Amino acid sequence: MNCTEAQEKFADLLDGRLPEGGTADVRAHLASCPDCQRQYSSLAQTLAALDALPAAKPGPGLRKNFYAMLEEEKNSAASVAAAAARHRQAHRAVLWRWILAPLGAGALALGGFFAGTRYAPAPAMDAATKQEIASLRQRVDSVGQLVGMSLLQQRSTSERLQTVLATVDQKNPDQRMISNLIGALALDPSTNVRLSALDALYPHADQAFVRSGVLATLPREQNPLVQVAMIDFLVAARDREAVPELEKIVRNETIDRVVRDAARRGLAQL
Amino acid sequence: MPVITAYPEIRVDSTPFVVKSAPDAVDPATDTLTDHELMIAVRDGDLGALGELFERHHGPLYGFLVKLTNQRTAAEDIAQTVFQRMLKYRHTYRDDGSFTAWMYHLGRRCAADHFRKHNAAPAATDPASLQDHADDAPHAGDRAATRDDHALLHSALGRLDRDDREVLLLSRFQELSFAEIAAILECSVGAAKVRAHRALRELRDTYFRLQKEKPSLS
Ligand SMILES: [Zn+2]
Repeated sequence: MNCTEAQEKFADLLDGRLPEGGTADVRAHLASCPDCQRQYSSLAQTLAALDALPAAKPGPGLRKNFYAMLEEEKNSAASVAAAAARHRQAHRAVLWRWILAPLGAGALALGGFFAGTRYAPAPAMDAATKQEIASLRQRVDSVGQLVGMSLLQQRSTSERLQTVLATVDQKNPDQRMISNLIGALALDPSTNVRLSALDALYPHADQAFVRSGVLATLPREQNPLVQVAMIDFLVAARDREAVPELEKIVRNETIDRVVRDAARRGLAQL
Repeated sequence: MPVITAYPEIRVDSTPFVVKSAPDAVDPATDTLTDHELMIAVRDGDLGALGELFERHHGPLYGFLVKLTNQRTAAEDIAQTVFQRMLKYRHTYRDDGSFTAWMYHLGRRCAADHFRKHNAAPAATDPASLQDHADDAPHAGDRAATRDDHALLHSALGRLDRDDREVLLLSRFQELSFAEIAAILECSVGAAKVRAHRALRELRDTYFRLQKEKPSLS
């Protein structure tokens, strides 16, 4: 090994992290070459001096500023998340209202609604909203199917009830069946059918779609028994998004006292 | 036709169903987590975990920045910006990332931005400003000499190109591999090694020249 070759290996020799295997011949050269020894030792000396430089300590301001900045970011992250949640909730509620509002007008209007004119021109929408509406439209179609089956064909209450109860036995009812249950909860004239539909929805309370459906149906419901059952459902499902609606019920003195008490109890639990 | 007169009893309490609730906030003692795990937690929304990372790393980062910039105030500003950017860009932290490498990568970028914004190169060495550095010379009599030696080396460091200074300082952090240094500098491992060694030779030459020029500094 000549001097040039040896000096090319100095980097490896000086870097403590590298394996020592390949450095034996450099060491051998160093032992016999005073010139390379000088070179090597000056580099090693420089590195030692560099490593020995005292570490400067930051002043207290750095820590103070860091934690102030962290707090600020935490707050803004929390408020962004809250705003997004509010937006999603408002968004869903609006969509459901848009879907359900025409349904209350009676069987004839319903027929027309589902026959063709059901889709009112929607307000300006972004792509995500359009997609959401498209998927809700599919659900409305299945709601329409239920309506067609129950209301328009005048089947008896007990038969409609059997239809609803049949879904309870299904281990994994599909999305369409769940939409049917929400449709029954929203539309069926029989208290028994609506209550059974709600009962059948319990196993699916972990789906945001189901909770928002029940929540959207709550203001339409007139029967205190069903209202209380819906409130219990939302509270059991821990749906924080029900809070504004429950607060509205508590404040509304025209609503049955039993219902307002249930809403107040529910608010305490949410 | 069956006539159902009573609707089924609603068994709120006994109906089995699972409501997916948010998992209980798990708060394991953060000091048992690796840097990488902490940064993943930050990325996933647990911003508080950055506090532990700050405590672990702001000292070495600041030390690096002081040597890089030769300015204590600038080093504090830049270190602050580094942690700010960790928050701002936390979503870009990768599952296969190395926290330390990422931190020095940000440090390097922030330093470059700092000097671009202030339209100034790192200050030429001002040994006087470094006199207040703590030094660990065990004997009072050695202190002045050691301090002068540090000042000389600072001075020599200050005369390197910033790129050379950067790669040399990074190569002396034992916690960084050359693969990580190469990633920080966005070059190959081989190039990082060559640059580090070339920078060391530069520093050596300047350091020894200054020693000869200023024998009477003490
Ligand atoms: Zn030689």
